[in-house]
Amino acid sequence: MHGRVKVKSTAQQEEEKRKEREKKLKIYVAARDACFSKRKEGVWDDGALQITQQLLSSNPDFGTLWNYRREILMHLETVKDEDEVQKIYEAELSFLESCLKVNPKSYGSWHHRGWVSTRLPRPDWARELGLCDRCLNLDDRNFHCWDYRRMVVKKSGVPVDRELAFTDRLIGSNFSNYSSWHYRSTLLPLLHPESPEPLPSPRRPPPRSSPPASPQNHSHRVCEAQLLKEYELVQNAFFTDPNDQSAWFYYRWLLGRAEREEMISCVLVSREEETVTVAFSRPVDPGGLMLLLDGQPQTVEWRSVHPRFKHSPVWICDLPPGTISDVTNEHNLTVHWMERHAHRDCALYTGRTESWCRDSATDQELFRSELSVEKTSVLQSELQSCKQLQELEPLNKWCLLTIILLMRALDPLGYEKETLAHFQTLREVDLMRSAYYSDLCSKFMIENTVLKMEYAEVRVFSISDKKLTTLCHLDQLLLVTHMNLSSNQLQRLPPQFSMLQCLEVLEAENNSIEDLEGVFHLPRLEEVLLKNNKISTLADLRPLASCPKLKRLDLRGNPVSGLEEVEAALTELLPSVVDLLL
Amino acid sequence: MAEEESQSEEFEQIDFLRDRHVRFFQRTLQVLPERYASLETTRLTIIFFALSGLDVLDALDVIDRNTMIEWIYSLQVLPTEDQANLSRCGFRGSSHIGIPYSTKGPGVLHPYDSGHVAMTYTGLCSLLILGDDLSRVNKQACMAGLRALQLEDGSFYAVPEGSENDIRFIYCAASICYILDDWSGMDIQKAIEYIRGSLSYDSGFGQGAGRESHGGWTYCAIASLCLMGRLEEALSQRELDGIRRWCIMRQQSGFHGRPNKPVDTCYSFWVGATLELLDVFQYTNFDKNRSFILSTQDRLVGGFAKWPDSHPDPLHAYLGLCGLSLIGEPGLRKVHPALNITQRAFQHAEQLQLTWRDNGGSCSRRH
Repeated sequence: MHGRVKVKSTAQQEEEKRKEREKKLKIYVAARDACFSKRKEGVWDDGALQITQQLLSSNPDFGTLWNYRREILMHLETVKDEDEVQKIYEAELSFLESCLKVNPKSYGSWHHRGWVSTRLPRPDWARELGLCDRCLNLDDRNFHCWDYRRMVVKKSGVPVDRELAFTDRLIGSNFSNYSSWHYRSTLLPLLHPESPEPLPSPRRPPPRSSPPASPQNHSHRVCEAQLLKEYELVQNAFFTDPNDQSAWFYYRWLLGRAEREEMISCVLVSREEETVTVAFSRPVDPGGLMLLLDGQPQTVEWRSVHPRFKHSPVWICDLPPGTISDVTNEHNLTVHWMERHAHRDCALYTGRTESWCRDSATDQELFRSELSVEKTSVLQSELQSCKQLQELEPLNKWCLLTIILLMRALDPLGYEKETLAHFQTLREVDLMRSAYYSDLCSKFMIENTVLKMEYAEVRVFSISDKKLTTLCHLDQLLLVTHMNLSSNQLQRLPPQFSMLQCLEVLEAENNSIEDLEGVFHLPRLEEVLLKNNKISTLADLRPLASCPKLKRLDLRGNPVSGLEEVEAALTELLPSVVDLLL
Repeated sequence: MAEEESQSEEFEQIDFLRDRHVRFFQRTLQVLPERYASLETTRLTIIFFALSGLDVLDALDVIDRNTMIEWIYSLQVLPTEDQANLSRCGFRGSSHIGIPYSTKGPGVLHPYDSGHVAMTYTGLCSLLILGDDLSRVNKQACMAGLRALQLEDGSFYAVPEGSENDIRFIYCAASICYILDDWSGMDIQKAIEYIRGSLSYDSGFGQGAGRESHGGWTYCAIASLCLMGRLEEALSQRELDGIRRWCIMRQQSGFHGRPNKPVDTCYSFWVGATLELLDVFQYTNFDKNRSFILSTQDRLVGGFAKWPDSHPDPLHAYLGLCGLSLIGEPGLRKVHPALNITQRAFQHAEQLQLTWRDNGGSCSRRH
């Protein structure tokens, strides 16, 4: 159902058209019936080829007919000599060309052509490439044609560098050719691979169920010399037409790097609660976890921090009572993640009530956007180029986004102020997506706060008055004891919030919070300050009842504090709270 | 004065004409113009567009449900007495092969009759929409037919005789398994591998590995993973963020399916629903989206077209409505973003599944 523009016509023209259509329909139905009875009788001859040809000319998406045709052709292969077969298939290619002229986007036609190409005794791949060229000249975004071309290239062994040169020509004549850039992304890693990767470490053979690499991951497999050439090509493109997305997406991919290894990011042991809490780099299933205490495997049940998560990045288990409670004893714990053949050790020393083992986000370069880190000088020069462009095109959103990306890769804390300013411009320039940008900005601010927190070596997470609209990276905040989110634009503390297992004090005044779902089973939480929010019902406060140590609760300036008999209801709901402000 | 006039004209222009759309779908269910002849083999999908469209409009009362249900069952390819054709079972697109009309088994053996995965999907959806309890669907046969379509690389053919194979048919297969509450019809792990392999450098999904990103295939990928319950397992946070970014950049006014292509009504659903499944649809601009969809509304015959000033067709009429439903257009039922039927029809499916499980779930095998 391709777009057909409306055209007016006279009544007479309409009537003539109608008569013609009826005639065509009669012929079609007769031919179809004749065809099927032939197929049923197992007739595979030229006559059958004729009829199917007739039908397929007007309806190339009648799949069964193509199948019948393939049966006929395969049968003819067995009864004719090679030269005759060659002629038959060449005729087939001509027929297909006429079909494709009528409908260049028919799955049936392209699929059949692909099949024919594999049956030809002497295929003419140059001719096929020529067909693709002509087709792409008419519509350079016809993905059927691109897919077919890829098949031809593969079958005929066209060298990759020739195809790369082909994309050079296309991009050279028209930078705005997304399909060409796409094709280039698949060719480049083949042609200019990076030096071979180090062998997988012996403790980590490829796991059975590991997701296979997607083309996305291949960008780091292009050698540096070629990458620099690509940067130049792409810069030419976006300097020529900064509003065309093609080059910007390609650029981002070029700058990208491999995803980091999956790992156990933190193990926390608590004597008082007698729990072991484990945080992973992604949501996992606890089935493959094993816990060793002083070398002995423990039979434990892992629970998710919140009933909503079946696949959580954070899991907790309870140790048998008395196992580690004696503070004069030292213990060694090991968590094994069988699936990834990874493990983490954590020593619990005498005199210490808790212990943890964690990779810092700074060391892990957790937040270095997704950009390649080894090439700082390259990133610097790329940033310079983009800044130059930004002066010429201050309203260009792609440029702004890329600058932000590069700044985060180079120095997220150092560029914080500039990044915030660029986000402000971005929200104004691309108004349609301003909410998305606010979200993205919130994420980056949270990342910066984590980095600052680590740098100061404290467990206090403070991010107030930053127009925060959303919370994220909560799995990185397992060890945080004090959290200040005041004066932002938060509406909820989502279930993920329950990953903050060490939280003692939560300051969240002056937000728009109406949902406290995530303040759930936080064993150390004592103070919750929610002045001037949007908590409106008693039910909204229910999750707090699961926090056994809650002593102080500030609900002033919330709709709920005006409800009748609210004080009595809260005393019943939250018996541990001794200091209640309404 | 002139300004006032043009303002009220503008208001008329973006007015949603419910009744016209109801009639458009009614006509679709009666007679289609000659130019649709080439779609005969896929007639069931057109029926689905009309039925689901009427459901979204809350106007199913205008059709004769029972007749429709019978006709759909007549399209079921049922096992023959000796079950020799099990791997060809499912639903066909229409009667174009010439099998005599029958809504009951056993099946008739015809060497070139088989189900088509997209017809099985839309057939089941249509039955759900019409309130049928799927009791006459031969679930075991459907599963056998489905298994016969999956290739080593995880993708699916459309028909057992062979056809092109790609991510579209994975989506159809996943929907069928989801509806029938039986995942024995496919190797989920292989399908996930194929889907992952289709993720392109720009964080969109192509039809298969190495192929260009496209809003429709991205929908198929994400919706399939959601139906399988494996979204966060199969894709990392970084990948998901990249996909969100690629999709959110598809909005120009309405949405387009690929960069540097014109916006097209149907992508308001394909991309919109993907964003909804990824929890970021609220960041799109609803006003511009709505304005575009309504600019493709045909004020005379009803329905929507892919572009303004073009002829409407059932696919764009249906997906235009779904696009409007996603943004909360009043008077439209909510659409389930992964299964592409109304929430009402979806709840009916859930009820059925509860009943099947209570009754021992004979073919139910949850993953």
